[in-house]
Amino acid sequence: MIKSSIVNAVLDEALKTGGDFSELYLEDTESNTMSMINGAVETANYQRKVGAGVRVLKGTKSAYAYSADTGEAALLACAKAAAAALKFEREYEASAICVDRIGVSSAKLPFSEVTNADRVELLRRAANAAKAESNEITQTVASYMDCDHRTWIFNSEGLHAEDRRPRARISLRAVAMANGEAQTGSCSPGYGMGFEMFREKIDVEAVGREAAKTAVTMLHAPECPAGKVPVVIDGGFGGVILHEACVHGLEATSVGRGTSVFCEKLGHQIASPIVNAVDDGTMPGEWGSMNYDDEGNPAQRNLLIENGVLKSYLVDRLGSRLMNHPMTGSSRRQDYTFAPTSRMTNTFFAPGNDDEEEMIRTMGEGLFAVKMGGGSVNPLTGEFNFAVGEAYWVRDGKIISPVRGATLIGKGAEVLMKIDRIGRNMWMAPGMCGSLSGSVPTNVGQPRIRVSEIVVGGKGGAL
Amino acid sequence: MTFYEFRDILFKLALEKGCESAEVYASSSDGFSVTVLDSELDKYSVEQENGLNLRVLINGKTGYAYTEVFEDAEELVRHAIDNAAAIESTDVSPMQGACVYPRIEDTPDPLAGLDAKEKIELARRLEKDTLAFDSRVARCGQYNSVSTGTVKTHIHNTLGLAADTEKSVSYVIVNPILRQGDEEHMGFSFKFRPTEDDISALIRESVENALNEFNASPVDSGDYRILLRNDAAADLLSAFFSMFSAEAVQKGLSLLSGKVGESIAAGCVSVVDDPFMKDNPRAFDAEGVPSVKTDVIVNGRLNTYLYNLKTALKDGVASTSNAGRMGVAAPVGIAPSNFCIAAGEKSFDELKKELGNGLIITDLSGLHAGINTVSGDFSLIAKGLLVENGETVRSVDQITCAGNFLTLMRDIEAVGSDLRWAFGGGSGRVGSPSLLIKKVVVSGK
Repeated sequence: MIKSSIVNAVLDEALKTGGDFSELYLEDTESNTMSMINGAVETANYQRKVGAGVRVLKGTKSAYAYSADTGEAALLACAKAAAAALKFEREYEASAICVDRIGVSSAKLPFSEVTNADRVELLRRAANAAKAESNEITQTVASYMDCDHRTWIFNSEGLHAEDRRPRARISLRAVAMANGEAQTGSCSPGYGMGFEMFREKIDVEAVGREAAKTAVTMLHAPECPAGKVPVVIDGGFGGVILHEACVHGLEATSVGRGTSVFCEKLGHQIASPIVNAVDDGTMPGEWGSMNYDDEGNPAQRNLLIENGVLKSYLVDRLGSRLMNHPMTGSSRRQDYTFAPTSRMTNTFFAPGNDDEEEMIRTMGEGLFAVKMGGGSVNPLTGEFNFAVGEAYWVRDGKIISPVRGATLIGKGAEVLMKIDRIGRNMWMAPGMCGSLSGSVPTNVGQPRIRVSEIVVGGKGGAL
Repeated sequence: MTFYEFRDILFKLALEKGCESAEVYASSSDGFSVTVLDSELDKYSVEQENGLNLRVLINGKTGYAYTEVFEDAEELVRHAIDNAAAIESTDVSPMQGACVYPRIEDTPDPLAGLDAKEKIELARRLEKDTLAFDSRVARCGQYNSVSTGTVKTHIHNTLGLAADTEKSVSYVIVNPILRQGDEEHMGFSFKFRPTEDDISALIRESVENALNEFNASPVDSGDYRILLRNDAAADLLSAFFSMFSAEAVQKGLSLLSGKVGESIAAGCVSVVDDPFMKDNPRAFDAEGVPSVKTDVIVNGRLNTYLYNLKTALKDGVASTSNAGRMGVAAPVGIAPSNFCIAAGEKSFDELKKELGNGLIITDLSGLHAGINTVSGDFSLIAKGLLVENGETVRSVDQITCAGNFLTLMRDIEAVGSDLRWAFGGGSGRVGSPSLLIKKVVVSGK
């Protein structure tokens, strides 16, 4: 990809104004996307993204310059531009420890060997399965993406790390309509593997059926009652509650800046004693996994919460300087147009000991949230909101009706303390997480859990 | 290889391989952004982007391929033709031929002339003035920044189109963090191409917004009359923009399907898409179609959807010059130019008096998750102020506002004079004045 003489010249140039650390990041990413609407291929795209970024640190100050041009002159110009920001006395002493880390692609069937006809076939099978599920399904939107993300990282501490991360995802959104009303359901699995995932891991017909079932169920669901009630949240994408309401607040981007409710809480009880939470970037073939992070450090399994006690934050290099906390292999960026920062990988509540049926049977009146939608959080206050894509109302411990339009709102720190059941079977679901360093693939996960009370918002239906 | 050399090779290869026409959409940009925290330079970024998207029309089908390296033209053309061959939709995307554009008078960018040192100085002053504005400002957040940039775009095709444009895009974000006792709240205000006066106003506004969030609590659940403040109204309209897209309508993904000519909003509501607005004008859209102003809703009546060339051909109408791309790498879709609810007569304070008893909603969060653009349903976490007899009583948080977008449009009782634009959205933008709304369902206590 690049000559070592150029790498050294760039890393040196970047330190000429007194920076204490420099880093060169190169990227060459190819991706294909395709969409199918109502059974006909609508769009097909190919993208190749190539570029480089140079970062200079001095203490906790950072400067980043990037360019789509990866020629020697452009890289040196980036190094000069970044260095120009940090005009201080030169203090840097080169440390010549050479570390080589080469991450290899996990793909058995690389996307370069896949044809558009293969991609079309997947979309068609998912769309047909959705359409066949019910004659109330009026629209299907199927989409596909694959991506071969290649990175090269060099830094002034002598590190050279390469990684290659294949990933692909299929998504089916079904619309059910009747009497002028429309409801949607979707299902979007994805893995950090090659095209073989569609043989080994993903049943595309099941993807279509699941999306259609949600849409039809919600079409016939009354509006969700509003109020403060116990809520059972099913496994898989239910883990978005942990992602949004807690772990964003454990990222160095907010903790290092003093803008998190979890600042200075290491060793403190921040969750109910039955809660264990993990961020694990090493899980083979998973959507949020990587061999090396975007600063070239090996991915790690990080125990974040143990028996309700906060054990670790998610920390990148700059964050470790701000917080005096070791790096956790959590540095990520969307692409070369972003400087890296602390991010999640595969984040989940670890399995507990509670019975999945018992937690509904003993909840009294409340909400059973089967499919969570997206959400967002204010890290300063921990206030979050989630949409619920598929939910059921429970009365006297029995499911009495599906309900639509529910949202869950609250404060992360309060909800963590109110978790009173955690089931035994954990699974994960993929998402794209947006933050300071762009949009990166992350898995969220959990077993089925129960929260003793959450504010359920909605149009306030009566059942 | 230069852009022009690469373009010529692509066009030659595409035509040789049997394409009816070929187009490149290329963009190169330079950017600069700086954040100062604790009077010291905290984050500094210099950006140079360059990308080219090839679009080919072959056998009536359109294919795309994007690259950031101007080499291997053969491979790029092969990908584009291969992608076109996969298309099954029978919609045809015609390309715009050569044309002449009206001269556009752009407002000068006040930050365009500053050098790096002056921009760092401005960022330093931004932090200092924000901290000095109110003793409760504890520090500034990491979004507190000064950013500048220029984007050059070329849309050239084999039909003779050669549309070139250059635009400067600067903005300032003020991000104060206020502390009172144990409570902390954050303000966030931005302005594109700000003047000195704008920057002072931003500081005032962001601090006042954060102050409004202290000592907040939910209100009782129930139906409330609300005054949706301009920034929150612009965010909501922006989230539902796709309803007005002819693409969504033709695909059966918009509730506005079949409603042209019908009344879909209150009589006081008019919506316009105006590419000629002085502070953000454009001569042509992302397909090189000359700009036209479009009245989308006139006194509550839906007049038209927004079209690009493909959707216009399908409906047998002219393009409304609303072709857009979500970035250079993205295919042609539909996007706003300056799309907004037209400003009314009344000031925010007059609307507040008219509200009498109800809620002012100052912030709606979770717009990417809590709305359904197909059904129009929304349920969003909100912040605001409780108003009794036209006076603010206290701050409100931890509530959701729920409803349906079309019902809300019909329930608008008055439109303010304070038009404001939502953050983000590339070259196009969506805006709204403050809106007085008859009824929204609130869940709280």
